[in-house]
Amino acid sequence: MGHDESGHHDHLKLEYHPALPMSNGKLIVWLFLSTEIMFFAGLIGTYVVLRFGVPTGTWPTPADVHLSEPIGAFNTFVLICSSVTVVLCLEACRARQAKMAKCWLFLTFLLGSVFLGVKLYEYNQKFAHGIYPRKPRSLIHERANLEYAAALRFPLKAKRDKLDKKKAELGVLPTTENGESQESNEKQVEGRLEESEEQDLKKYNQLLSGVVEWAEYVATDPATPEAERRDVLVQLAKYVSGPGHGHGHAETDVSPFAGQLDQERAELEAEQARLEDEQRRLLVARQNNADSEAAQKADIQSDLAIVESRLKRISHRMDGIGLLRELKHGINEDHHMHLPIVLPSGNMWASTYFLLTGFHAIHVVVGLIVFAIGMCMRLGPEKAGFIENTGLYWHFVDLVWIFLFPLLYLF
Amino acid sequence: MSETNPANLDGHDSDEHGHGGLGKYLAVFVCLCVLTGASFFTYSDLWPYKDTPAVGWIFMMAVSCTKAMLVMLCFMHLWWEANWKYVLTFPAALMSVFLVLMLIPDVGLRTRKYSEQRWQHAAEPEVPASAADRDPEHAEDHHDGTHANQHN
Repeated sequence: MGHDESGHHDHLKLEYHPALPMSNGKLIVWLFLSTEIMFFAGLIGTYVVLRFGVPTGTWPTPADVHLSEPIGAFNTFVLICSSVTVVLCLEACRARQAKMAKCWLFLTFLLGSVFLGVKLYEYNQKFAHGIYPRKPRSLIHERANLEYAAALRFPLKAKRDKLDKKKAELGVLPTTENGESQESNEKQVEGRLEESEEQDLKKYNQLLSGVVEWAEYVATDPATPEAERRDVLVQLAKYVSGPGHGHGHAETDVSPFAGQLDQERAELEAEQARLEDEQRRLLVARQNNADSEAAQKADIQSDLAIVESRLKRISHRMDGIGLLRELKHGINEDHHMHLPIVLPSGNMWASTYFLLTGFHAIHVVVGLIVFAIGMCMRLGPEKAGFIENTGLYWHFVDLVWIFLFPLLYLF
Repeated sequence: MSETNPANLDGHDSDEHGHGGLGKYLAVFVCLCVLTGASFFTYSDLWPYKDTPAVGWIFMMAVSCTKAMLVMLCFMHLWWEANWKYVLTFPAALMSVFLVLMLIPDVGLRTRKYSEQRWQHAAEPEVPASAADRDPEHAEDHHDGTHANQHN
């Protein structure tokens, strides 16, 4: 360029003119980042579409999925801090303060690790509540229907049967459905279950016959009005996972279900009294008709059987109500159970949450690896380019989180 | 485009990096913290637009965009870069926004056109009665969706 004018004809002097006023490394990082912008735009776009495409009012609230906004805000703060430390690392690097630069880089590494640690804790919280992105482990059901009730019944039955078997092996007769024979048998036997196991067994029986099977019975009983059939299953789901958002009963001692349970108990007591009268009347009728026709006797007998089975169910339900009445949050929370939960659109929530935060966490891990490599170097001014490029990447990771935090935690 | 010596490009020459500085970074840091607090404010009980969530969403996205601009301009030094910054950032950013906006009417609002049969396999709204109040268009979609009174 212009060597003719300069008059140096003796030798050709070539100069390297980069197309852009920056190093190749930085150019590559910026190109990479612009593809990353599109990548995350695709992810966030998918999220927005799925989030707003669900049936109105079904997207889980943060409380439903045990997502803590303050923890998310804390993580945002951690990432902002790490952005500052990495930029200060670059400044120190340029100012020929290699030690200082290493300190800032180490601090950045630490903050990134804190972010990942908090993320890990959050993931664990989700897993503990059965919120997984996929079915075999996920406990989320979309609807409170009979299928859901069956899904509750199977694990409870399995647990109950396991303890029953153990009890039988120890020499005790297995309990009946309602656990009645338990008390009468206990005294005669030396080998028996431990106290806690005994309580568990009682609890499983109460949950099975007094809560789950009762709900199934009411929901399938032709005598139950249509609307109530669904209500009883929706309510069953609430007992399992707690009353949900808008019911901040954590501090009070009163069960969030107390009111309606007491009402139900009063109704059942009235019915119980009526049925007991009926039972007495039938027993007397049977006594009086001892000599009468076989057909008439059979009628009375079948009526009596219906009344008695209804009474038995009600007494199970009373036990169940007693157990539910003590709940503070829900069966899962209070009794440390891992029962299926109903969370409309919960599976979609889990898929999007784990996809977005997972991809972001992968980027954080990559950043941490690069920081670890950087910490093995002497961070003199010749390494400023490396630190700058790493910093650019790290700021981008921060940038993604700036959008993810409100989208996932506050929307 | 005056700077052409590759040796200077790697940041060896500290004179050309007169921008930045601790004070500026700390100021941006404080701004970012305040803005995070601002979007977190929508979660608190003091936020006045609880019944119209869209206001909160737009507010939070505006706050996020402001934060993103602050990070890009100051921490990523874009403020002091030459004109190449527009080439690399604008098309990608525009395409991103375009993608999201184009997805919403077709896919994002698909449930507005759901058939009766499709609804039977969709998640069940927890409080369909109030949802139907807010959005009369959906009232018919949720057919028998008037349960949610709490007694068994």
